[in-house]
Amino acid sequence: MLLKQAPAVIVQVKDHGDSDKIVTLYTLDEGKISAIAKGAKRSKKRFVNKLELFSLLNVSYAPGRTTSLARLDQAELITNYPSLHQNYGQYVAASLLCELVLFWTREHDREDELFQLLTWALEGLAMGVTSAQLIIFFHVKMLEILGFRPLLNGCGNCGTLAPQAAPYRFSPMRNGLICGQCEHAPSGPGLEVSMQTIQLLRKVQELDICKLPRLHFSKAAILESIALLKRYDSHLLQRELQSWNYLQQLL
Amino acid sequence: MNVVPPALARLIADLGRLPGIGKKTATRLAIHIMRRPASEAQSLSRSLGELHGAIRLCGKCFAFSETNPCVICSDSGRNRQLVCVVEGPGDLMAIEKTGAFRGTYHILHGALSPMDGIGPDEIKIEALVSRVRKDKVVEVLIATSSTVPGEATAAYLIKRLQEETPAAVTRLACGIPMGMDIKYADELTLSRAIESRKNTCD
Ligand SMILES: [Zn+2]
Ligand SMILES: [Zn+2]
Repeated sequence: MLLKQAPAVIVQVKDHGDSDKIVTLYTLDEGKISAIAKGAKRSKKRFVNKLELFSLLNVSYAPGRTTSLARLDQAELITNYPSLHQNYGQYVAASLLCELVLFWTREHDREDELFQLLTWALEGLAMGVTSAQLIIFFHVKMLEILGFRPLLNGCGNCGTLAPQAAPYRFSPMRNGLICGQCEHAPSGPGLEVSMQTIQLLRKVQELDICKLPRLHFSKAAILESIALLKRYDSHLLQRELQSWNYLQQLL
Repeated sequence: MNVVPPALARLIADLGRLPGIGKKTATRLAIHIMRRPASEAQSLSRSLGELHGAIRLCGKCFAFSETNPCVICSDSGRNRQLVCVVEGPGDLMAIEKTGAFRGTYHILHGALSPMDGIGPDEIKIEALVSRVRKDKVVEVLIATSSTVPGEATAAYLIKRLQEETPAAVTRLACGIPMGMDIKYADELTLSRAIESRKNTCD
């Protein structure tokens, strides 16, 4: 059978019966795929220490013929980002990255840029970049790549972005902002965001990722941005991502 | 046409919910039970029926037990100042089988896994920290799995215990399996074995 090869990050690991594992991989060549690793829990030789969450691997696999489940043939470890399992805060942040990729992407949907973004973020986390800020960078850039950019350049109704029109609220339903002048009595579950946070998030949208580390989010801006992105997720995905709560507990 | 009698189909469905048992195995087990004398099936059903009534969690170490405290916690021959922390009851059984450990245990009932909604409050961490403080435990041996969630749980426990208790915190050494040629050990295991090397006079 023809084997495919690709660099991949493990975003989920599940035990399957007594001896197998099912892993979800985010690959460079094919986006998200699920693969079964036969004997990964027992006859360890081929897969020992490799099929662990967050690991960056070179995998070869046989695509499933009747199902979407591929069969993992070989895995060569590039890095397992050790510091991500040696610190709870970094572990929570890395788990959130994986959960975002898991639920925001479809299987076999190739996005080279998202693969680069994911490894960039895991590397940054492993090197100790402030977890919450890195999550914000990753999330905003991921939305850009997947075509779900929230509109932050002004009120969705009147177009202004000015301190006089504050407070601004973010409404996932409108996919953007609404100013205090257009909406006197807030209806629905909008979320208040300060001018400072709006400006920072716009910068993240515009800047190249290599320039992002220059930005500095205040504590208040981090809290607001995280709340906004979490709300956006639950609105568009129609589900709660579990890791958000643990990240928020640490802020 | 369905040839399987409903009572047998129900049993197959029940058995099929057990971990590691597929439909084929469930069918084989069900047919085996049916072929054996009725008294065996009745004994099995009694054991299953009485399970939840008879077994509870030990209030100290959270092991499954018929008594509270459990046999290990109430054994005066065991060192109560040494507590070994494991993820699940299966890990306790594996360590007990070695006969090499004479301390007591603490069962977390899971490992930290944010994606699965398992945080510090969802497993028995608070109870461990307060037990270590209250019982003046001298050493906590952390024996969580060497998976990513197991490692992260260990890191979290080490920090909490060091900050909040005077106990010494140790970890199970990770090394080369007995009978394995060093040449064939994977890099990660080998580097861990080097890190956790020990003095030969011990
Ligand atoms: Zn407006
Ligand atoms: Zn006990």
